[in-house]
Amino acid sequence: MNWTEALKAIFTLTLLTSTVRVSISIVLAGMGEMLTERSGVLNIGVEGTMLVGALAGALGSYFSGSPWIGLLAAGLSGMLIGLLFSFIAISLRSNQSITGLAIYLLCVGLTGYLLQIIFEHGGNSPMVDTLPTLHMKFLENVPVLGPIFNDQSIITIPVLLLPVLFYIIFYRTPWGSWLRAAGENPKALAVVGKNPVRIRYVATLCGSFLAGIGGAYLSISQTSLFSENMVAGRGFIALSAVIFGGVQPFGVFLACIFFGFMDALQKTLQTVIPDTLIPRELFMSLPYVLTLLVLAGFIKKSGGPADIGNPYLKESR
Amino acid sequence: MHRIRKFFLKQQPVFITIIAVLLAFVIVGLILAATGRNPFNAVYFFVRGAFGNMFNTTDTISRVIPLTIAGIAFLVGAQSSVFNVGIEGQLLLGAMASAVVGYIVKLPAYIHLPLMLLAGALAGGLYALIPAWLKTKRKVNEILSTIMLNYPATYFTHFLVLKVIPIEGVVPATPFIEETARLPILIEGTQLHAGVFVMIMVVIFAYYLLYKTSLGYEMRAVGYNKTAARFHGIPVEKRMNFAFFLSGMMAGLAGAVEVAGVHYRFLDQFSPGYGFDSITVALVGLLNPFGVVISATLFGALKTGILEMSVYSGIPRQLTTLINGIVVLCVAAKDMLGGWYARIFRGKDTYEAQKEISQ
Repeated sequence: MNWTEALKAIFTLTLLTSTVRVSISIVLAGMGEMLTERSGVLNIGVEGTMLVGALAGALGSYFSGSPWIGLLAAGLSGMLIGLLFSFIAISLRSNQSITGLAIYLLCVGLTGYLLQIIFEHGGNSPMVDTLPTLHMKFLENVPVLGPIFNDQSIITIPVLLLPVLFYIIFYRTPWGSWLRAAGENPKALAVVGKNPVRIRYVATLCGSFLAGIGGAYLSISQTSLFSENMVAGRGFIALSAVIFGGVQPFGVFLACIFFGFMDALQKTLQTVIPDTLIPRELFMSLPYVLTLLVLAGFIKKSGGPADIGNPYLKESR
Repeated sequence: MHRIRKFFLKQQPVFITIIAVLLAFVIVGLILAATGRNPFNAVYFFVRGAFGNMFNTTDTISRVIPLTIAGIAFLVGAQSSVFNVGIEGQLLLGAMASAVVGYIVKLPAYIHLPLMLLAGALAGGLYALIPAWLKTKRKVNEILSTIMLNYPATYFTHFLVLKVIPIEGVVPATPFIEETARLPILIEGTQLHAGVFVMIMVVIFAYYLLYKTSLGYEMRAVGYNKTAARFHGIPVEKRMNFAFFLSGMMAGLAGAVEVAGVHYRFLDQFSPGYGFDSITVALVGLLNPFGVVISATLFGALKTGILEMSVYSGIPRQLTTLINGIVVLCVAAKDMLGGWYARIFRGKDTYEAQKEISQ
């Protein structure tokens, strides 16, 4: 195979289709984490929240027979994990990084444990019903956009509109300005009579809801079962995307799509390039290595909120 | 009465941590009960598995070795405000490097063994320089970067044993290391190996470095307050880079000791999550080198105990990670316990009690 042929086999419309497909979970988690970070809370446990969401999604779909129940269960259980995190990191003012790490470990253990307890065998859950796909008639004859967006999961289009929603919330609503104030200068916010703790709670819970949904997308849409550790670092990649995107709705969205593209590219390269030429393991490392390279090259000093990671102490007002 | 109160107040961090760990185990017990498993039954099999007979006890001790060394790895980082969550990856690379030196190089034992341990430590230390550079030069959160670097390390070692190094037998592994590169077994017929002495040296080294040298003092100053340290003329970035390197070296050494003392080769997926356990071990050990030995003993027992438990009482082995998470969560939340604790032992005369302590 010569170079032009190889490139033709790699850069196809299918690559873009699969970019959209694998980006959705990262976009959901990234948008959620952006919301949380805007309020001044750094939740490193997103990966764990996604895992719990993925398991809850599969369980909900398995036991109720409806993937929609699974999706709801995933969001709610993500919120529950977010509540636990918020209680310890916001109310008890523990170190946010260590708490996030603990949440991650807890969720890895909890999902593995529950999977084994419920299905009596480890590794995978049985197959479950998945979310329907959306076929739009009018897109059929549109080149490029048609094949990319048709027959994607039904939540794809709403998820792709999330950055617009967050842009409006952040910059066009009063709550958005309170949210940003909670992340920049919570004491100033308290002075005008708003409670930074409550805003941080709401932001973290909503962010965790989205992360849970992002996890469920993996188990009840991208695939049709839960397997142990199936999130495989996507939560951490979403965290990087939030930094890369400067904690701004469109920046984070593009960063998530970029990482999704890298993942899709990596999967395509694995199938196109023979293992003997370049080993698979190299491509599998690619998303993580690239994410770090991007972080090293593009990190902005003033990208995020000023007060991120610091607990809010009422007494020090 | 005053003396007792004073003692409990002075040792507050220790007792709070013990209470937090106990609380964590109560929560684990409740989770077991809620999922239809008998927690008391679990405790029985756990104790039997960890200390039931000579073999199990020495097995526990042989797990305390990597846990302690890896715990020290996290500790030397955390003391300088470097949270190295990449110990798992550094440990794997260290184990691989030492296994390669162990089976390729042919030398007398007194030089071969130190050389292979050094190779492991260096591999881990060099790998940790990547997040060090990212942190001190590019301001990348080290928890994020170190956790991500675990994946390439896993894939790389997997690739080496699968496709580069000739495979013997069914499991992906490197060939066995030379006799000269092995840590001798201390008690015939058990797993207890001379890595115990390596562990003791590492603990004493960490204590001496951190508390008896000016370099260690500066590292701890950086961990305590970076701004103050900078004003004091301490090269903060240099100390953090060194902390990363040292942390990675310890992690690599932990892997090398596992190869030299237990497996005698690099076995794919040999580490049962020692990297992540090390965080729990170090935090529960109050980031104190001797405290780490105590908490490593607890978690070493947990590791062997849970093996037996999962065989006999049908409790999944994933419980270990769950316990880790709950313990770290409880230890992270111990400030809340601190409030209650102080109230109990201080009584109403807080001011008096504080004066007593300061005297």
